[in-house]
Amino acid sequence: MFKRAATTIAMAAAIGVSHSYADVVDESFYPYREGAPSYEGLSVGMTINASNADQFKEILDPATYEQLKNGWWEMKVGETTSFDLHPNYVEATRKNLGQVSLGDELGQINGFVAGRPFPEEPSADDPRAGEKLAWNYKYGYNWGDSAAIYPFYWRYRDLESGKIERTLKFNFHFLNYKHRVQHEPVPEFADNPSDLFRAIYVQVLEPFDVKNTQLLIHRSSDDQTADNTWLYLGFQRRVRRLSSGQITDAFLGADIMIEDFEGYNGRISDMNWSYQGTRNIMLPFFNHNELELATDLEEKDGYQFVDFGGKGGCFPNITWQLRKVYVLESDPIDENHPISKRTHYVDAQTFTLPRTLIYDRKGDLWKSWLIGQAHPDHHLEKNKGTGVSIDDAFSMLDIQAGHCTTGQFKGQVDPKLNEVKLFTVQNMRAKGR
Amino acid sequence: MRKINKMLSALGSTAILAGLGLVNAQAQDEEWDMAGFVENATFYRDGAGISKSRNTGQFEFSKDFGKKFGMNNFRVSGTLRATYDAVYDINDDEYGKNAGGPRSFENAGSTTAQAIYGGNGNSPWGQSILGNGGPPGAVPPGFLFDVSRNPNQGLKVLGEDMHNPNAGVTIGVPVRPCDKDSRGCGLDDYMDFDTNDLRFPEFNDQLDFIRELYFEGSVPTGDMSELFFRVGKQQVVWGRTDLFRVLDIINPVDYSRHNIYDELEDIRIPQWMATAEYRWGATEIFDDLNLQLVWNFDEFRPNALGQGGTPYSILDAGSFFRAMNNCWENGCTVSNFVPAGAIGLDDPGLIAADFAPGVIGIRQVNLPDGHDQGGIKLEGVYNSVGFSLNYYHYYQQLPVLRGDIVSMNAFTGEMADWDHLIAFDIDFPEVDLFGGSLDFYVDSLKTVFRVETTYTQGEEFANTIEPDLYSESDVFRWVLGIDRNTFIPILNKNRAFLISGQVFGQHLLDHELERAPLGDIGMPDWEDNYTMTLLVKGWYKSDTISPQVIMAYDYEAGAGTFAPSVDWLINDNWRLIVGFNIKFGDGMGDQEFDDCRTCNPFPPFTATPAHADPNQSGSVGLSGIQPLGRFRSGPLGSASEEDEFQVTLRYRF
Repeated sequence: MFKRAATTIAMAAAIGVSHSYADVVDESFYPYREGAPSYEGLSVGMTINASNADQFKEILDPATYEQLKNGWWEMKVGETTSFDLHPNYVEATRKNLGQVSLGDELGQINGFVAGRPFPEEPSADDPRAGEKLAWNYKYGYNWGDSAAIYPFYWRYRDLESGKIERTLKFNFHFLNYKHRVQHEPVPEFADNPSDLFRAIYVQVLEPFDVKNTQLLIHRSSDDQTADNTWLYLGFQRRVRRLSSGQITDAFLGADIMIEDFEGYNGRISDMNWSYQGTRNIMLPFFNHNELELATDLEEKDGYQFVDFGGKGGCFPNITWQLRKVYVLESDPIDENHPISKRTHYVDAQTFTLPRTLIYDRKGDLWKSWLIGQAHPDHHLEKNKGTGVSIDDAFSMLDIQAGHCTTGQFKGQVDPKLNEVKLFTVQNMRAKGR
Repeated sequence: MRKINKMLSALGSTAILAGLGLVNAQAQDEEWDMAGFVENATFYRDGAGISKSRNTGQFEFSKDFGKKFGMNNFRVSGTLRATYDAVYDINDDEYGKNAGGPRSFENAGSTTAQAIYGGNGNSPWGQSILGNGGPPGAVPPGFLFDVSRNPNQGLKVLGEDMHNPNAGVTIGVPVRPCDKDSRGCGLDDYMDFDTNDLRFPEFNDQLDFIRELYFEGSVPTGDMSELFFRVGKQQVVWGRTDLFRVLDIINPVDYSRHNIYDELEDIRIPQWMATAEYRWGATEIFDDLNLQLVWNFDEFRPNALGQGGTPYSILDAGSFFRAMNNCWENGCTVSNFVPAGAIGLDDPGLIAADFAPGVIGIRQVNLPDGHDQGGIKLEGVYNSVGFSLNYYHYYQQLPVLRGDIVSMNAFTGEMADWDHLIAFDIDFPEVDLFGGSLDFYVDSLKTVFRVETTYTQGEEFANTIEPDLYSESDVFRWVLGIDRNTFIPILNKNRAFLISGQVFGQHLLDHELERAPLGDIGMPDWEDNYTMTLLVKGWYKSDTISPQVIMAYDYEAGAGTFAPSVDWLINDNWRLIVGFNIKFGDGMGDQEFDDCRTCNPFPPFTATPAHADPNQSGSVGLSGIQPLGRFRSGPLGSASEEDEFQVTLRYRF
């Protein structure tokens, strides 16, 4: 009798735990399964602008609210949709659930294999909750195992006059060396002597003065190891190693620093992280193919880029969704860092960083950073089913300087565009002249 | 544009591929990538007027043909450049057909010369006391030359733009283009440019208007590895330094374009070369590893140093060589060459001498005819440290004067190879270079470090101790560079400044320097020398305005350069650069070295009281600025009088 009871209790406990684990993962990856969030007065198809911004202030980040209130642009409200990440990534999360922990020091993590390291809801009582969210971002499914933005247009714009000062054309490539879940080799490359986690390779195609400039970033698996970054300058025909000072500096004169790429492109150990709460916030998530797209940049295959409008042409013509957000603050450990802090509005489902506010060293709001997310099933044919939330349009607005840099993406989740040999110093020399 | 496409298609698919026997190649859909610019660079030199009015047109093209001939990414690339430097027309009094004039030569402290010539006692070209101006019949034949063939016109005194003779030797330099004045232009294919050669420097026998034209492709050998080829006229860049070169020695450099100050990209002289690289990519040990073989099958090209009478003649070597070639071919006047007492005058001073042809000077240039320069480089990244190991066999790109030629004894007329006589051929010895480089980032200092070092065997240097006035020395060179991005809030609170500093060191392992009765003799090059460079560069207005300061300082020469400039990117097409290039510190006039006046090449006639054995040649060390002070002054000090205001306007398309 006792034995049967004990077995029953054990089985029940096991089932209970298993069910609990499943809930954690499902709740992390499918937050809208039980329904989309709502807000009083908000409806799909409506527009938030200067006339009604006050009504929705609670679901707008402060910079977006100010911009709408000032009439700089108008926000079209779309339906909240689920951006399901690739099932392999979800499965890897499930498989490794409960096996990951933070190390004693900032930037240390134990037991991580693949997937989302900390799918559990963050707790305000957890002093390291912010750090866990940062790890979830770092090991997120941001561009999948590899992807290319091919091509990628940046435009430097004057907020007041709307004048386009410069147009740069790039190719961007991303590759994960480790923690891969979809494309071979899974879970990692065999020859990886420096234990790299990820690499980013950038090639400038236009205009003439920066043509052939290339950037290569190697990020170590050991977060406490500094990135290795190289720049190839066409006019010097030489690969130069970059110091971290250049990583926190305006990249090629844009309003963006290398550290801003993808929302945050640095180490966990470079920042102090703090979780500021969970909210429902309007975020730039949309279906690319349903937008009114730009007609001034044409691709041979008919692909059209996201268009921009509003004041100075600094704002993407997209739709926004009310989504579950973790508010995450990061302040630099380096006292000489040019900013005092960032406030990231982390999309809880994808762990992308669609909205980030950047504050200068005095603590004043300096830049408003927007990365629009397109659903992969409503984008290029090759992106369908990839489970990658596609970075599709960006705007970095320097509020203090009255200037912005906008980005128009042709994101392609295509391993063939991101061969591992592309991410070598020698490739930079070969690609240069 | 369609026509250009057709032309390029023809060039790429027919000319190049036909040359390879690959005429059946079909281009893929990808179009030619084309770009170019036109540019005017106008420089104004203090005291000389316009020193450059260079109009350049450059056209770059490339096309990726995809998979062809068993290679991936088969690509054809080229760069064409045409230049017209109008300075030879605009400022022809200084650099063109009307440059120079009649010149007189110093007879320092000579009472006899004072009495004969009056004024400051300087004697006109070809009218020296020991020469045509001496008593008829009393002057040995080796001190006479035909002034009607070698007249006193179109001349400058060697070094006159930089210093006074200071009782040292100087020579007359013909300074007009070689079609206007052929004197001193007798070195075949070396410093023998006509006006049009100077105006249009790319249109020469080497077809330098084709700056680059090559094909390349890779053969995959694995997931990570590949074999890469590039064949054609190209630049192969080794090393990690700016401004000065340590490992970057494969292509010679054209210093006549703008001394050391133009981007190396623009002044490397492309060569026909073949490179093959095996790229392992990441391995079990290295993050990146590749092995490169380079074969330069082109004819040897030395560094272009500029010629006498041109605005950019690094070390003023071109003037010296032209003067010396004129000495050899036509004779020449040399100031302050002989103590007046040595020819029996009751005179405490020095007097100039007229040398007959074939006595002193530079006879010819011996350009190596081997097509055998080449080397190997192993390069990679290990534990986040970039590294390379290099070996290169080449011909010294700077000339050396070898005094082992047969010439005429000025006193006896006898023909022999006289020891310690300043009669030379120009040679370019074979050199073996062993080197390596590193770069790494130190996070705690937020600083990138760059290190390069080379050890060469076979380089030759001037050496007044040696009978042939040159000797070989192994050379150890190194450079340490640091790059740091630093905020200077008072100047720009949003954008960091790039601060890049470099220290170059050079050590001659077989350096010789001895104390002789009248001064030092031996090698004028410093046994150890250090050159520092500093770049501070900032950016404003979305990087469209970029002020910068470049400073360089030669420690032993005590000479430096301060070059502030502002680069304004007006829009995607137009770019304006305005700057100054200011020299400071010591000039060439502050450096003296044994000038071999007291080398006693024709013993006992040329022996001095300081010679212990009047029948033994060898220098006792009387020194002057010319000709060897230039080696101690270096490229910075020898350009001390070349302060310039510079404007460059470029339109890119």
